[in-house]
Amino acid sequence: MTAATSDSLLKKSTGRNTRGLLRLVILCTIAAAAVASRLFSVIRFESIIHEFDPWFNFRATKYLVANGFYDFWDWFDDRTWHPLGRVTGGTLYPGLMVTSGIIWHALRALTLPVDIRNICVLLAPGFSGLTAFATYLFTNEMTTSPSAGLLAAVFMGIAPGYISRSVAGSYDNEAIAIFLLVFTFYLWIKALKVGSVFWGALCALFYGYMVSAWGGYVFITNLIPLHVFVLVCMGRFSPRLYVSYTTWYAIGTLASMQIPFVGFLPIRSSEHMSALGVFGLLQLVGFVEFVRAAIPSKQFGTLLRGFVLLVFAISLFGLVTLTFAGVIAPWTGRFYSLWDTGYAKIHIPIIASVSEHQPTAWPAFFFDLNMLIWLFPAGVYLCFLKLNDEQVFVVVYSILASYFSGVMVRLMLTLTPVVCVSAALAMSYILDSYLTVKSPETPESVSSTADSSVSGNGSTASAKKAAKQEGGLRANRQPLVGIYTLFSKISVVSAMTAYLLIFVAHCTWVTSNAYSSPSVVLASRLPDGSQHIIDDYREAYQWLRQNTAEDAKIMSWWDYGYQIGGMADRPTLVDNNTWNNTHIATVGKAMSSKEEVSYPIMRQHEVDYVLVVFGGLLGYSGDDINKFLWMVRIAEGIWPDEVKERNFFTDRGEYAVDDRATQTMKDSLMYKMSYYNYNSLFPPGQATDRVRGVKMPEVGPVLNTVEEAFTSENWIIRIYKVKDLDNVGRDHASAASFERGNKKKKVTKRRGPKVLRVE
Amino acid sequence: MRWLLSFLFLGLLGVAQALSASGNRLLVVLEELDDKSKYSKYFGDLEGRGFQITYESPKSESVGLFTLGERAYEHLLILPSKSKGLGPNLTPKILLEFINKGGNILLTLSAITPTPTALVSLLLELDIHLPTERNALVVDHFNYDTLSASEKHDVVLLPRPDTIRPGVKNFFKGDGKGGEVIAFPRGVGQSLGNTSPLLTPVLRAPRTAYSYNPKDEAESLEDVFAAGPQLSLVTTMQARNSARFTVVGSAEMLEDGWFTGEVKRSVGMGGVGTDAKKVKTCNQAFAKEITGWAFQEIGVLKVGKIEHRLNEGVRSNITNPKIYRVKNDVEYSIELSEWSWDKWVPFTPVAEDVVQLEFSMLSPFHRLDLAASGTTTNSTVFTTSFKLPDQHGIFNFKVNYKRPFLTNVEEKNTVTVRHFAHDEYPRSWVISGAWPWIAGIAATITGWLGFVALWLWSKPVPLKLTTSGKKIQ
Repeated sequence: MTAATSDSLLKKSTGRNTRGLLRLVILCTIAAAAVASRLFSVIRFESIIHEFDPWFNFRATKYLVANGFYDFWDWFDDRTWHPLGRVTGGTLYPGLMVTSGIIWHALRALTLPVDIRNICVLLAPGFSGLTAFATYLFTNEMTTSPSAGLLAAVFMGIAPGYISRSVAGSYDNEAIAIFLLVFTFYLWIKALKVGSVFWGALCALFYGYMVSAWGGYVFITNLIPLHVFVLVCMGRFSPRLYVSYTTWYAIGTLASMQIPFVGFLPIRSSEHMSALGVFGLLQLVGFVEFVRAAIPSKQFGTLLRGFVLLVFAISLFGLVTLTFAGVIAPWTGRFYSLWDTGYAKIHIPIIASVSEHQPTAWPAFFFDLNMLIWLFPAGVYLCFLKLNDEQVFVVVYSILASYFSGVMVRLMLTLTPVVCVSAALAMSYILDSYLTVKSPETPESVSSTADSSVSGNGSTASAKKAAKQEGGLRANRQPLVGIYTLFSKISVVSAMTAYLLIFVAHCTWVTSNAYSSPSVVLASRLPDGSQHIIDDYREAYQWLRQNTAEDAKIMSWWDYGYQIGGMADRPTLVDNNTWNNTHIATVGKAMSSKEEVSYPIMRQHEVDYVLVVFGGLLGYSGDDINKFLWMVRIAEGIWPDEVKERNFFTDRGEYAVDDRATQTMKDSLMYKMSYYNYNSLFPPGQATDRVRGVKMPEVGPVLNTVEEAFTSENWIIRIYKVKDLDNVGRDHASAASFERGNKKKKVTKRRGPKVLRVE
Repeated sequence: MRWLLSFLFLGLLGVAQALSASGNRLLVVLEELDDKSKYSKYFGDLEGRGFQITYESPKSESVGLFTLGERAYEHLLILPSKSKGLGPNLTPKILLEFINKGGNILLTLSAITPTPTALVSLLLELDIHLPTERNALVVDHFNYDTLSASEKHDVVLLPRPDTIRPGVKNFFKGDGKGGEVIAFPRGVGQSLGNTSPLLTPVLRAPRTAYSYNPKDEAESLEDVFAAGPQLSLVTTMQARNSARFTVVGSAEMLEDGWFTGEVKRSVGMGGVGTDAKKVKTCNQAFAKEITGWAFQEIGVLKVGKIEHRLNEGVRSNITNPKIYRVKNDVEYSIELSEWSWDKWVPFTPVAEDVVQLEFSMLSPFHRLDLAASGTTTNSTVFTTSFKLPDQHGIFNFKVNYKRPFLTNVEEKNTVTVRHFAHDEYPRSWVISGAWPWIAGIAATITGWLGFVALWLWSKPVPLKLTTSGKKIQ
């Protein structure tokens, strides 16, 4: 693969052209494979938006396409967070929607009228092809072996860690953000290498695009300064570094501040302070370098020490004062939870309640990255062998991303690119060493050629190291080792080929089984093996759309807010944009309190319908009863006196829904709505909850303030209508009891003095 | 041909004019259809006001309040009957359903015939309590009619009722001159629950009256059901949907005899009425007012046009926009009319009362008095203008006007109040605080241009190398 080996096979200029063409073809094939492997869900189900967040993005995109950019920018959404509303235009990352909008307009300009939904569904696969290309470019900056880039591209294209967020229909911010992440890093490396304002500015522009697309931009904001800081500490300060970083920081910060949601955060929040600090540090280092050139070294040492201490003291004092004065926002909870995984569980239940904020389980690494995870350290080690500025970047990136991916499941996404790059470095190194027909030459001639060729194969690399660093590490001064026998070549190459094939098989299997379910539609297998689609969600949302008033407010747990907004087009109280904890706690309180407490809350918020998800009949474990404790916890955070988590557990500390359930549990609106009339499905005394695997009590709950409006085919979604106040002023319990035919008891004797009526 | 049509219209108009606000179909439930003659004057008055009266016995099969799920009558008058129940067609559930569908009920009681249990339990649902004894009646040893009940003291004479509290319109005071007497013979007093805001007593017993069971042999009363003003003689309940339910404690007071009869009051507390003369009762006039209220001939409010609009210096021509911006100046107006027997007239609240507008999200941000800004032939326009709060969200213009004896007005108009759009803030040069920064930007630009100019136009000095290889200039 190296220039030396191919030159003998092909003539110089035609050879380059042929290889270029070949590379292009391979890259296109990789992109096609990346797109194709993400289409499982479209083929199995249909062209549909998945999960939760994508439904909001889709709705926002439709709004953008329908109303134009400025309306979108100033969008006040009165159909979510009723009655608070949401300044949606100012609280979202518009990059994704604007990208789709531009594609839609471009296709229309080309007289290709494509439904915006299809653009949204296929955006993520489309961008995954670009990501593969960006990874290729990035890897090529790291090594001279062109096979590494291609390998990295193909790894990136099909690694499940990335596919998990970019299958067709997964219309989320990450869909374009990962491409932007990798491409920004590529531009940064390029800028650093060349030291040019042009590349630095390009990097800043793509950073701006990244900021507009995903909240994860903070990762770049911290990684690049960290890289620079490490370089400065290693004594690798150079004008190239100075030029590229200051260009990137100045333009990038300005660009990021154009996004309303980000606004003044880059100069106020603690998460962005490292970038600012490193910017300041570079000025100081630059100044010190200038001074060093001007004055003798002895005086310079004293001067430097005093200067460093002074600057440190001043900046620390400034930072502390500003933080206490409130100019710089203190660290947010989400940030703390990055360091202490138990933090969120105690202090911010709303963050902990999201499954993707949970710490990663170890098998997930192998599940998402397969063999790459063990090639990854080898690749990082190879970076250490040839430590230039750009290799430092890979090292820093891999350390940081490894830590974060262990803390939060969703950050696996940021780890994936560097794993692919490192693994490709290692794999290409192995293949370059073994996949060559020629045996190494005698040591003398090898060391001479090693100087001329930049990377060479495995044996020459160490030789070159030895030649370069004379008197370096003893490990590098060992005799030359090469692979001479065909047998070892064949065995290693065939092993690697097998691993690669298994990797492809694994990726395909994971993609098809784990990541291609839209979660809006559930698939199950009938006894005869045929696929059975459970479509309760859409059935219920369609019911809402067809049978309720245009502005009927739906109360549900926040998980379903975006879907109700997107599919049923009805206003909701809370949704997946969890910006207002109190409002969510209010809904939690309504769900976890007695009817008499919940009803005034629902009336105050003008709730017309309440939607609950109940999996008991089907054995669907992601239902509201299983999420119920989070509602209780979040409500308890705001009303510790009224909602108590302890009361939902039995004396023995069990979370039970059957006969053992506590009175508080049985009285809660959520419990009642879930199990209302559930007994009627079974013969008396036989009612069973298939999720919890318990027998339900003989007598089901009684509902007074709400009435059942709709229950989907498999009882997954149950919708209740909130009753109006009683027409003749009774409370709901007595009105309902009258309806059932019970006579009101005549109050014969009142205890104590008579209460007189005062007009 | 045309004149025929116009005559038809005139005829229709005539019919329409003499109606209650909700309709004219009235069902009278009385046990013996022959008893009709006892109330001939009362029914005559009703027919004279345009009601189409259907008489039914509770026992008859054909009595039914609904046909095909819709109300068959707008109004229901229940006269006392001897039977214990009212039959399967007039159960409490059906009667409540009738109210819930907007029907009005006038229920009369009598101490002579015990109240059917069906009605007792219906009244209980509405938080109206009757004495537990079946024959209890209201007696007053100070305000009785000496002509007809000199022994039993069970014909209570009362003046026209006062306003129950300030700020409430009184429909039952007649011409307001006073001196009129209502005779309340052998009636059943009711006691009202304390919590229901929908109940209002119209006629309350005098201070000295109490509920008494004539069958009770005991000399003294141990436990009085209720006494004095706690004992309501005529009670009204207006449901949330403005359907009216009225209880008249004595059916007898509607009879012909008491419409024209003469009474003479006894000597009351403190020697009042020692020189009392025979006077004619005003039962007929009072019955008209009570029935008129019960069957929605008076005290019915109607909301006409509701308008809100932007009013920032110039009144906007767009009425009722869906969306405003925070701190907008807006104007709100609502048209209210009141039905008075046969026509809509402009509504004016009584002296101490005022119609208010709330601008609310979860809780009111503004609660403002609405001032009458003009009247049309049959409505008053109430208006106010104010500045929207500095809070975005989904707000309601809400007029929640609920007063005793007036139908409920609850009008909610939802509007969205949005935040400032990106181009609605003042530009930087308008804000004086921004001038230092603008000056800073200008200084930086000039400085940079100056530096570039200096750089471009200064001649570079050629570099010389010293022997040690160091650069010097």
